Amino acid sequence: MIRLGLRNLLRSKPRLILVALLIGIPFFLLLVMQAIGTAVAQQTRLLQQNVDNTLQLRARGAMGHVNMVGNENLLPHESFNQVRAVEHVAKVEPYLLAMTPTTGHNFAMIVGVTPGDTKRLESHGEAGTPKIIAGRDLTDADRGQKVAVIGQGVAKWAGITVENVGHAILNLDLKRTHPVIFALDRPPATLKVVGIYASGYVFGDMQLFIPLDTFRDIYGFPRGISWLFVKADSAEYLPAVEQKLKAMLGEVADIIAPTHVAEFQNTATRAVLRLARGGIVLAAVLTIIVVFFVMLLVVRERAWEIGTLKALGASNDGIVVSFLTEALALCVLGAFLGLLLFAAWGGPIAQHTFGVGIAPFLPAQYKDTLATALSLSSSIAPATLALLTGTCVIAAAAGSVWSIRQIILLSPMEAIRRE
Amino acid sequence: MSNSTVTKTGDRLVVLHRVSKTYRKGDEIIKALDGVDVTLAEHGMVAIVGVSGSGKSSLLHIIGAMDRPSSGEVMVAGQSLTELPESGLMRYRRQTVGFVFQSFNLIPNLSALENVMLPMEFNGIVRAERRARALALLDRVGLRQRLTHRPRELSGGEQQRVAIARALANNPPLILADEPTGNLDSKTGQMIYELLKEISRERTVIVVTHAEALAQMADRVLPIKDGRLQAVAWEKEQASSEILGGSRHA
Repeated sequence: MIRLGLRNLLRSKPRLILVALLIGIPFFLLLVMQAIGTAVAQQTRLLQQNVDNTLQLRARGAMGHVNMVGNENLLPHESFNQVRAVEHVAKVEPYLLAMTPTTGHNFAMIVGVTPGDTKRLESHGEAGTPKIIAGRDLTDADRGQKVAVIGQGVAKWAGITVENVGHAILNLDLKRTHPVIFALDRPPATLKVVGIYASGYVFGDMQLFIPLDTFRDIYGFPRGISWLFVKADSAEYLPAVEQKLKAMLGEVADIIAPTHVAEFQNTATRAVLRLARGGIVLAAVLTIIVVFFVMLLVVRERAWEIGTLKALGASNDGIVVSFLTEALALCVLGAFLGLLLFAAWGGPIAQHTFGVGIAPFLPAQYKDTLATALSLSSSIAPATLALLTGTCVIAAAAGSVWSIRQIILLSPMEAIRRE
Repeated sequence: MSNSTVTKTGDRLVVLHRVSKTYRKGDEIIKALDGVDVTLAEHGMVAIVGVSGSGKSSLLHIIGAMDRPSSGEVMVAGQSLTELPESGLMRYRRQTVGFVFQSFNLIPNLSALENVMLPMEFNGIVRAERRARALALLDRVGLRQRLTHRPRELSGGEQQRVAIARALANNPPLILADEPTGNLDSKTGQMIYELLKEISRERTVIVVTHAEALAQMADRVLPIKDGRLQAVAWEKEQASSEILGGSRHA
């Protein structure tokens, strides 16, 4: 009966081509949607790596600088380990901060960091990554050592040049005061300047980075943390991490989180992925609908044949197998045709479809560029073939359910209805 | 008038006892068959004749298990069709009867040979044997040269001969032909009847027909009117009493 089902396909070649095309178009749409989904998923992974997914924790209501008037409160020392244990936290970087007067009303910022951690610039809300322009960066070997990497503004103030980096000495007098800096009753410290960095702006260049342990030793703060930088393992989990930190440390810490960017990215990519998945489901449903009507028509047309087969002693199972074979073969042909269409025009059409589909959700400046930025491919991955095969089987089975019911209910008397 | 026919001794292939068939058409109940009693022997050609709507096709369909009676009992080849489940009726249609339809009902995308092989496939016969038997049957009906032709490439008479070969495929003891010459000219119809007559020498052939002349070729004629068998054609039945049997009840 399987052979009979396959032979039934060839009854009318023009009709076979028409039906294969009708089934092929939803398959083509399915492939387009799948290509968009795959490209967006790839892009999302890249975005999640690049979007700022770092939170900052400070003692509640304070800047957390150890000698800043009215802002000297620190985060509890235990908060470091507590935060590290939170799910989806990839990295925690503790900072200790102090200030020292320079000329006039100006001051420089002293930052204690763990060697190897990111050196962030903190100055009037501006941030950036400093670049070493002379000497070297802090290393693990510098832990507890009296060494510093200083900004080029500090170097200029202290009279240190690029040429004498590695030998130059910088003195820190902790008793000096300033309208916003109070004196600490601690001995002065002498730091060897091992590197000079440039940040590209004046305030950014007025910082000194020293090892965290060295900072604790010089300023006499064996415990406590000024700031904690907390990196989530992806932007997707940033809001969840923020919620957990608020629940854990909300009473003692202010949490600054770039959740708007992360949430926009999450929402936008999730919306596109949902649209793509919805498109795939819609295309599959469309395939089922086409198969449904084709098989309904076929069973109606061949009711007398089904009756004849029953009158000749064919079992319902046998007849059903022959029609299911026919439905499956039509789906496979349709999928193949859809695959050919996709290989020929899939890339540009997917790009255009994506552009049209996503445009309403995007700010004007991205509308033209995003569609072309997405690397849409018309290549066929094994997962795509698996998707096509699965859809073929499901569409053939689901699309034929009603027809199968009709076949089973048909009486052998249908054989004489045509007479 | 009595609604029964003559019984003659001999092996009984078909026994119908008080078989009725009613249909509901809106509020109206139509009696297609009304208490039919008939017994048919193992060989010979039986013609069921009657005007359109008399119930002759209904009778044939019930004997062929294409339809179930509303009441009464149908026994064919020792098995009661009334008691058989759907799977049993399927096996019955496959092994005990062969149908010949007025419109031939050949599967259009299969060749003559494949059409004849089809019922044997349902019966689980291996391909080589199917082919050999189908070749022999097509040879018997004179279509050896038309094996690979599709139905649309055959004349009406040829198509009906293929249909007869197909009906014989599983070697059933009973062949049922519903107006087998209805779509053929008289000359071709005569050939088909001769073929059926020849086949009836080895098995029972029941033919439903309008054609009086063709009915004359039958060994036994069962006239039917308003769903009831009529007691006529006595001479013919008595003349063929060597082959056929039936009983007459008051």
